Amino acid sequence: MLELDAVGLRYGNGPEVLKDVSLRLAPGQFAFLTGASGAGKTSLLRLLFLALKPTRGRLELFGKDVVTLRRKQLPALRRRIGVVFQDFRLLDHLSTFDNVALPLRIVGQKPQHYAQDVKDILLWVGLGDKINAFPPVLSGGEKQRAAIARAVISKPEILLADEPTGNVDPALAKRLLHLFSELNRQGTSVVIATHDESLVRRTKVTVWHLEQGRLQVT
Amino acid sequence: MSNDIAKPGSIVPRGAAPLRTLTAVMAVMCFLAVLSVGAMLLINRAVAQWASGLASEVTVQLPQLSTRDMEQDLASLTKLLAAMEGVKGVTILDRKDGEKLLAPWIGNDGLDALPIPRLVRVVVDDKQQPDFAAMEAALQIAVPTARLDTHRRWEAELRRMASTLTLLSSIILVLISLSAVAMVVFAARAVLEANRSVVEVLHIAGASDNFIASEINRRFIATGFWSGVIGLSGGVVMFFVLGYWGVAENNGVASAARGLFYLPQEGDWRSLTWFLLVPLAATAIALITSRITLKRMLGEVQ
Repeated sequence: MLELDAVGLRYGNGPEVLKDVSLRLAPGQFAFLTGASGAGKTSLLRLLFLALKPTRGRLELFGKDVVTLRRKQLPALRRRIGVVFQDFRLLDHLSTFDNVALPLRIVGQKPQHYAQDVKDILLWVGLGDKINAFPPVLSGGEKQRAAIARAVISKPEILLADEPTGNVDPALAKRLLHLFSELNRQGTSVVIATHDESLVRRTKVTVWHLEQGRLQVT
Repeated sequence: MSNDIAKPGSIVPRGAAPLRTLTAVMAVMCFLAVLSVGAMLLINRAVAQWASGLASEVTVQLPQLSTRDMEQDLASLTKLLAAMEGVKGVTILDRKDGEKLLAPWIGNDGLDALPIPRLVRVVVDDKQQPDFAAMEAALQIAVPTARLDTHRRWEAELRRMASTLTLLSSIILVLISLSAVAMVVFAARAVLEANRSVVEVLHIAGASDNFIASEINRRFIATGFWSGVIGLSGGVVMFFVLGYWGVAENNGVASAARGLFYLPQEGDWRSLTWFLLVPLAATAIALITSRITLKRMLGEVQ
């Protein structure tokens, strides 16, 4: 599903921020990506959701070599990946409903087809009463749940989440982790980047630990 | 929870980088384009009228010479010309008509003493014109001093002038279009810059460059169309104002402007459809230019 082999990444002429990273993500796998701030977690995630291409090494996603992919082939691959950002990246001018429906609108679905799915998923993340609210009036936790709903509405094969519990209290963090586990049980591969060691200790899953750009798998 | 499906919000916010300035500038350009098209139509219509008058008539000049009998020559010419194929009528202009033609150039005084040539007006069938070479040859034999003037030189001059003015109008239209293209390029860049974060989210959610360009394009189509409509309305109002402004004097600009809309000749209504091309062209320029610019810029975004 996802395989990195001796991948290196540098920004411009700067030093390598990722060095010889090799990993495999199997279908239905759950993995944590840990590491101190600045260790390269976000850079690795950006590689995984195709916002960047590696400067060396091989990155294979859904059986395709990402390095040699043409630009017009990227959207179809990106649609198979859901991403939850640390800063949510909700569009402030759209309602919660429209934010969550965004991936479905992108593939050309009509409101009458996706409306019920969007409402169901907003209920699932506990935002059934915020359907018409706009992001500026949502709390941090509500924004995080709206971002998760948007990431999973199109039933992606891989879910990548960057510090999804970074802005929420422990109770909500536990609830969000439960959401991710439930999604994983339905077959989605999940990768969560976090520096919250307590979150990792609660589960017995693969841990990818980044230290100064190098990856250790435990 | 309501089961009503609300109309989805615009994916690209309308508030960021509004296109009001572009609408205003493009409306001014469309207004200038309408004036340019109107001027071109007026010139071509006037030249067509003058040229058709010239084409349906030729003149034979007969200079006054003491060695010739003028009246006898005029009679011979009339008989000869009237018998020719393609000639619809022959009229001998008397001396006073000749004097009237000369008066604006040299005044009325002393005209009696001048040997003013006599003129014969020959009305020809402009659909099936006579063979002018054969006509001239026949005239030379019958009355060697007669000179045939087919007005071809004047007609050619008129047409050359019309072509030059049409070319100038076309150059002005091209320059206006290029300026509009440049404005749309700047505006498209501004809209994309203002919505960079939205574009990034769309890309990551799997939107293609085409999808994003289409979402932004809609605003440019509306801008192009409405600026075209405003410019066209302004141009039409301007021609009407010009027409009323000079009614009393019946001067050139006023009567020409009036003629553009009030006195269309047979089949001339079609020429007015040229004005409708202005909003269409403005919409096409806004659509195509913004699409190319957006696609090029989106290609630079990772």
